[in-house]
Amino acid sequence: MTLPDRWTFEAIGTRWQIDSFEPIAPEVRASVQLLIDDFDRTWSRFRPDSDVTRMSRTAGRWTLEHADVLLGLYDRLDQVTAGAVNPLVGQALSDLGYDAHYSLRPRATVASVPSWASLRRSGATVSTDEAVLLDVGAAGKGLAVDLVVDALDQAGVQEVMVDAGGDLRHQGPASVKVALEHPGDTTRAIGVVELRVDDALCGSAINRRAWGDGLHHVIDARTGRPTEDVVAVWVLAEGSCMHADGLATAHFFADPEALAEVYPHRFVRVQADGRVLASPDLPGELFL
Amino acid sequence: MRLPNTRQVFAAAAATSALLMTAACGGGSDPAGEPTAPSSAATGGASSGSSTGTYADGTYEASASYPNPGGVSSVDVTLTLAGGKVSDVEVKPGAQGTSLQYQEKFISGIAGEVVGKSLDELDVSKVSGSSLTSQGFNAALEEIKSKASQA
Repeated sequence: MTLPDRWTFEAIGTRWQIDSFEPIAPEVRASVQLLIDDFDRTWSRFRPDSDVTRMSRTAGRWTLEHADVLLGLYDRLDQVTAGAVNPLVGQALSDLGYDAHYSLRPRATVASVPSWASLRRSGATVSTDEAVLLDVGAAGKGLAVDLVVDALDQAGVQEVMVDAGGDLRHQGPASVKVALEHPGDTTRAIGVVELRVDDALCGSAINRRAWGDGLHHVIDARTGRPTEDVVAVWVLAEGSCMHADGLATAHFFADPEALAEVYPHRFVRVQADGRVLASPDLPGELFL
Repeated sequence: MRLPNTRQVFAAAAATSALLMTAACGGGSDPAGEPTAPSSAATGGASSGSSTGTYADGTYEASASYPNPGGVSSVDVTLTLAGGKVSDVEVKPGAQGTSLQYQEKFISGIAGEVVGKSLDELDVSKVSGSSLTSQGFNAALEEIKSKASQA
């Protein structure tokens, strides 16, 4: 199935592509972009005027839109990965070179990562005892996709595929096939999965967002260093791109069975030891 | 990684260097070997036959475990030294516990051998890989690469 109307734009550090059956009205487009900009102004560590950037300057008490949902998921991911997934990796990522200016040069010393429990939260309000740099890169973009899908749905746009830099949510009437990019060769695929209505698919791999030897964006919060055990993960989840996104990162660190309790999903995981693990009921085909 | 005792046993013979790398991938470890090699032994270049004889002849056993995403993996090593040289090495890598369950429960293959298929051959609507990165990131990366190639 091909959706005839295509709308592309750049936002929150990635390229968005929204395909729909009917053209999306200008006022609906404007409201979607406003929504994404609001999200960015709360959560982006790459812009100087965001709440997250303010939190990185001083301790305090902050109310962050969607924190109950987004940080609630991080609470679960922190539990099931024994502390490996933790948004407080922001400063370590920045020190490794993935900072707001994309200096891509690691500093001599890299900050240790505070425990996730050191950030206290009640609903959408968080309190900190020191300046901390949050990085919600593991699940934030997925939540943004969900918010866009909800906004479009409320505006009457139901047959739609939202793609935020590869994080997908498919609301179209028919299924679509998506290739899984080979982690070692971007011209090839290791498999194809089929997305049905209301499916979300998120991939995470350490090949593309990498800037040096052993330097990439998937950080083990327990060591403050990029992880090495897994090279690529895809997660397929129904009804929530945020959960698919967050679980894709969690698969770099935790047992599949423990992760199944967070949210029902199917997965493909390419490990550094050469094994590929995948759900037996994956809808699609792996070229193994 | 910390293999204070087993590392030196391994380093005594080049034949075991592949094993050392396997264990080194894992991160933490908890060696439970006995008896252990003298901790002050010089390991030198670890080339075959160049053992300085600082290790007493005998049979050494050690096991090391390390966490990986599929659970905890382990290797059990039995190494025999005779005349200051390694006369026998036995390695039992162990998928055990949860790791073994995963091998049975999930589809499993070897990525090193996965050629995959060319995207041109596939009839797909989308390609999903690592998230596409921002223009800022890509521009910065290109700049660094070009500086590096001029240096």
